Amino acid sequence: MKILILNCGSSSIKYQLFDMENNEQLLAKGIVEKIGLLGSFIKNTRNDGDEVKLVGDIFDHQQGIEYVLGLLTSKTHGSIESMDELKAVGHRVVHGGEAFNGSVFISDEVIKTMEECVDLAPLHNPPNLKGIYAIKELLPKVPQAGVFDTAFHQTMDPQAYMYAIPYSLYKKYGIRKYGFHGTSHRYVSARAAEILNKDIKDLRIITCHLGNGASIAAIKNGKSIDTTMGLTPVEGLMMGTRSGDFDIGALTYIMQKEEIDLNATNTLINKQSGVLGVSGVSSDMREVEEAAANGNERAKLSLEMYNYRVVKYIGAYTAAMGGLDVLVFTGGIGENADKMRLEILNNFGYLNLLPDAEINKGLRAKEAIITKPESSVIAMVVPTNEELVIARDAYQIVNNL
Amino acid sequence: MIEEKLDDYALGKSSGQKIKKIKAGIVGCGSMGQEIAILIAKAGLEVSFVEISEEKIQESLTSIEKTIDNIIERWGMTSGDKRSIMSRISGSTNYDILSDCSIAIEAINTKKWVPNQPVRKEVFKNIEQVVSNDCIIASNASTVVISDLSVVLDNPSRAIGVHFIAPTLKTEIIEINRCRNTSKATVEFTKKFAATIGKDVVEIMGSPGNISTRIIVAMINEACTLLMEGVAEVADIDTTMMQGYGLQFGPFALADRIGLDKLTKWMEGLYNEYGDVKYKTSPLIRRMVRAGMLGQKVGEGFYMYKPDGTRYSKSGPVRTLGH
Repeated sequence: MKILILNCGSSSIKYQLFDMENNEQLLAKGIVEKIGLLGSFIKNTRNDGDEVKLVGDIFDHQQGIEYVLGLLTSKTHGSIESMDELKAVGHRVVHGGEAFNGSVFISDEVIKTMEECVDLAPLHNPPNLKGIYAIKELLPKVPQAGVFDTAFHQTMDPQAYMYAIPYSLYKKYGIRKYGFHGTSHRYVSARAAEILNKDIKDLRIITCHLGNGASIAAIKNGKSIDTTMGLTPVEGLMMGTRSGDFDIGALTYIMQKEEIDLNATNTLINKQSGVLGVSGVSSDMREVEEAAANGNERAKLSLEMYNYRVVKYIGAYTAAMGGLDVLVFTGGIGENADKMRLEILNNFGYLNLLPDAEINKGLRAKEAIITKPESSVIAMVVPTNEELVIARDAYQIVNNL
Repeated sequence: MIEEKLDDYALGKSSGQKIKKIKAGIVGCGSMGQEIAILIAKAGLEVSFVEISEEKIQESLTSIEKTIDNIIERWGMTSGDKRSIMSRISGSTNYDILSDCSIAIEAINTKKWVPNQPVRKEVFKNIEQVVSNDCIIASNASTVVISDLSVVLDNPSRAIGVHFIAPTLKTEIIEINRCRNTSKATVEFTKKFAATIGKDVVEIMGSPGNISTRIIVAMINEACTLLMEGVAEVADIDTTMMQGYGLQFGPFALADRIGLDKLTKWMEGLYNEYGDVKYKTSPLIRRMVRAGMLGQKVGEGFYMYKPDGTRYSKSGPVRTLGH
């Protein structure tokens, strides 16, 4: 059973094609870039190593997806004989609000509800919807499944997700913590338990998804009880260009002093802050680490701040769960930045967390335990695979139809 | 990696209702044209502009970069935004650059108000010669009736007024001014275009001066009268209007931002159209224009300005300005 996974952004579409009944094999993956812009193209990699780049005009998401389907069914670079082989399409959807606490079969009713969630993620949800409309148009008979970034965190209690602002604002606009990267936190926590051969229901896990965007989740007995991102992805950890936690009073003060409007304020906290804003070097961790190694003080400071926030939240979530059994690193930085991982892990002597510097060193994007056998807390690296989760959910949903 | 053509992989399914890629054209890339160009390119669309000389093209591009640098300085954009915006903007002295545009906007800066708008008509004609049949031809002129310009077109139903209000990058609305010839399709496309570049529209039925210019001109004239009568000083009048009515800028600060020369042009256009004295250029504004006190852009108008745009009050009685 072949399933196509789509992750539609404002001007790009990432896709993967899985063969679910053949060992969940990845048949092809690729990206559609610069939709509606100059120089649009599609890059496709087949599992046998065949690579191709298609160039030409792509005016909208539907056209982009049409070309992807044409490519996947082509004799030259394709992976399937005909479209009939596609049994489902799974979509990554950024914000599901309070309406979705799990993955769903996309019916017209669901689409309507998703349209109502647009206000909560005005940048991300509309392109997600465009992908859904496009499949409806191009493959009307193929069932679609929606997997939400926020769904996994819907198990949080009100004490964790409510903000201390007038309750009426929650009622009126749904202002509360939703959290993101849910699919990733869900996958790596489950995978960690699997690797350890333990029941996730018996574990207190903290998952650190450290990438360009970054969030940490506290997962107690298999359920997310708290996470660092909030109504929007700005809250929580320091990120590449996002500020993370920040005094709102200071923000209004800046707005007044710099005489800036809402747009500029948004750019300030979303695109000009974080590691880039403090270091002045880059939002790319590798470049900042290099600058720090060459003695750039602000680069050094930004890394120290970054790590400190991670350490602080791990401590906070350990307290929230009354202890910690497993600590997982994932995401582009979490999977690759071995030095940073060790610096973070060195702060938990009080939990008798004993990092294994040898194993950790040079470990990149591979599943591994990076603490010593006698450590009370197990720290691990588990590369995330959000697409596979979406494929599995879609598979299950279609099978239950 | 091998490179192939996308077209060979088309399924021919969505081609029936293919959405045309919107490319926008601008004729005249002075301060207004530049802001419109940034606005459109920021939305991800390609923009081509026509200017009268290579030097003017360079000047416009340099000035656009400077404007974006200022915005970055004020936290409004990133250097990545700048790169992608600049890559979408191109200029030429040749109208042919507009040939594949879906909308072409006339935004020329005429020095003075002149009857019948011969220059703008010429621009409209030139645009129509190079663009395709379904390209919208728009004018940003604020005190012109669009039907006066569209008479020179073979297809006047494609003409429409799109009035961007300065500061264009911040103001959230565009006034769309139609006339009886403007087709429904033209209005619909223009609305879609406005939405694409992130603006709401206010639809107006053919009135020179739209809403914004008529009201602002009358208010500034009245403020000048108050000043000349010695009722109050510049800053007091501005503060009263800002605090009393929640305006972002008082009438004099606004006059300085618009530019007193431009304001004079608007006033003459409206006075000529409506014949009402409320639009007649205040003698104070005339005196100041003669004395070169054109407002913020030259560092002096009703207020003084530092190079970074900081405003401060002039010393001495301002009502004698220009004497």
